[in-house]
Amino acid sequence: MSRDDAHAADILMGDVVRLEDVLSRGSVTSVSKSFFGLFGLPVRVISHEGDLLADVHRDRPLCNYLNTTGEGERRCAATVAAVRDAEPEAQTIVHPCFSGAVYRIVPLEYQGRPIGRFIVGPYVPAEAKSAPLTLTSVQGVDDRIARGHFDDMPRVRQDIAEQLCDHLKGVIELLVFSGHRAQLASTMQVASVRENYRELAEKNEALKSSYDELKQLDQLKSTFLATVSHELRTPLTSIIGYTEMLDSGAAGALSDGQAEFLGTIRNKATQLLGLIGSLLDLGRLEAKNLELQNEPVDAKALLSDVGSTVVPNANRRNVTLDIEIADETPKIWGDAMRLRQIVLNLTDNALKFTSEGGEVVLSAFPGELAHADGTGVGAALFAATQPAVVLEVRDTGMGIPEENLSRIFDAFYQIDAGTTRVHGGAGLGLSIVKQLVDAHDGSIEVQSTPGEGTIFTVKLPAADDDAR
Amino acid sequence: MQVDFAARELTVKLVYYGPALSGKTTNLRAIHWLGTSSSCSELMTLETQNDRTLFFDMLPISVNSESGLKIRIKLFTVPGQVMHNATRRLVLQAADGVAFIADSQRSEADANRESFVNLKRNLVENGIDPSRIPIVIQFNKRDMEDIRSDAELEAIANQSREPIYRAIATRGYGVMQTLRGLLGQTWNKLEEENELEERFGISPARFMQEVDANLKHDPGGRAR
Repeated sequence: MSRDDAHAADILMGDVVRLEDVLSRGSVTSVSKSFFGLFGLPVRVISHEGDLLADVHRDRPLCNYLNTTGEGERRCAATVAAVRDAEPEAQTIVHPCFSGAVYRIVPLEYQGRPIGRFIVGPYVPAEAKSAPLTLTSVQGVDDRIARGHFDDMPRVRQDIAEQLCDHLKGVIELLVFSGHRAQLASTMQVASVRENYRELAEKNEALKSSYDELKQLDQLKSTFLATVSHELRTPLTSIIGYTEMLDSGAAGALSDGQAEFLGTIRNKATQLLGLIGSLLDLGRLEAKNLELQNEPVDAKALLSDVGSTVVPNANRRNVTLDIEIADETPKIWGDAMRLRQIVLNLTDNALKFTSEGGEVVLSAFPGELAHADGTGVGAALFAATQPAVVLEVRDTGMGIPEENLSRIFDAFYQIDAGTTRVHGGAGLGLSIVKQLVDAHDGSIEVQSTPGEGTIFTVKLPAADDDAR
Repeated sequence: MQVDFAARELTVKLVYYGPALSGKTTNLRAIHWLGTSSSCSELMTLETQNDRTLFFDMLPISVNSESGLKIRIKLFTVPGQVMHNATRRLVLQAADGVAFIADSQRSEADANRESFVNLKRNLVENGIDPSRIPIVIQFNKRDMEDIRSDAELEAIANQSREPIYRAIATRGYGVMQTLRGLLGQTWNKLEEENELEERFGISPARFMQEVDANLKHDPGGRAR
């Protein structure tokens, strides 16, 4: 528990209420002034600690006169000091003055504890007939003047004075109660806010540490993926190498059956190598540590290169492959090898899902790409779009059902398990394509009509004019 | 418990806990109303527009013992609304005993349980062992429709480690019994930990006599 909380707990126990803490000097002075205005009785409010919180009085001619005589001044000071220092336990003290006036010293209590007192007076009890001998016999005092001033003093009957003091005591104690309540309320409010803050801070800390942990786990996963892929690739490369050596007759002539089996081994091993390569790419892409060697890339050269790579496959499947390049197509700003991977993956995919007699078209044309945030906020100050190269891979294949379109870019996602068996692949291709396109600050969209075909549209930033 | 040796004063803190609208404030108002006016000071309620009891009510009862020791018993309620958990935890700090005010209506059973779980959690957060602090449970609103029956409460009482009381706080029924039960338990616990009889010459029986002399009784009863 912090020091401040401990303080809040103390206040909750409400043990020590100090008059100066809970009573506003302004309000107690107002009450005293109104009391003085109504009844002409001077009021002083003093805390238990001795602080004067309100002092409403008017100098009386009698007191002023007495203070002009040495003896009178001395006795006046002694009376005032005695009144000031008197501490009533539970009962009101009525303190007489040698002048015949009196002071009432009334205790203030709160929750059964003394918290201060107030003094009403000096006033002359209405019961007093004339100036007492103690006044007129003061050395240096003129009897006639003293009597005159004595008659001008405020007069109140003692029973009335007692009632008035009871009333004032009730009012001041009510002010104390209200002040204490306000003090408790604000202290609790502040303590509650602090407590809420502490709780939130703790939760934030816990969230942060679990976030860090997750990030670390993610990092571990990527590292694991990269390491395993690498370790798998090394022996696999050897397997492929040795099958090639066997195939070339390095270890003697092969029978037709042996050559056929060897072909299958090499084929499957190459497929596996491709998959491991994809896994490595995915790992690097997810870890965001794939470095792009960006340069202006010619779209025509890119599509032609991919076309020549896949043409044997297309021919084998009896699928027509067309390449269309629009005039004025700018160069792409990107990593040539990765761009090839994007187009090749999409084309392989298109061929895989297009049946005999179908058509796959690769095309490139100029277009526009929305800026990264895409919200159009502040579009007046910024160009909303930038020049782009649009690469399209269109097929007349089986198409993708609409409900699956949103998930085809997820890693390891296959529309249905049967797809893998019939067409092969691990469901990594499109995920890698998406991440590579993202890495180029481009965009990829897919449109598909089941039974008619699919169009993948990739938009990539164009290289600057002078680079074309 | 706070002890002020200079003023020869001992302060015991009891907290009325429970779900929103279960009758905690009504219990305190009833105690204030039923208790003798000389021993109870002004009831303090801190209310805002949105909540019935935002902070707490405070009610010191002075029990003057023969040895000159003054005992102040402070009763607090907590705001029941879920959002005021921080305030509840603050009010619960350094509590010597807890009266858990449950709503007898069947529909409020979940709210009762939730609030009790919250009580235990807040006690632990304040460094108080829930199994060691005196707790009594009051099933309030016995005059409502569709409540747990007396037989059910009897069965609950037989299994419960906390004493169970029945009450209709709006009529003052069972309120003083609950308070008396909690005071008895709390004093026994304080005696056990602080040897109050040896230090101040007040035995648990003597303390309860003082309490009885200071507090009036209603005819309400304990479930067992």
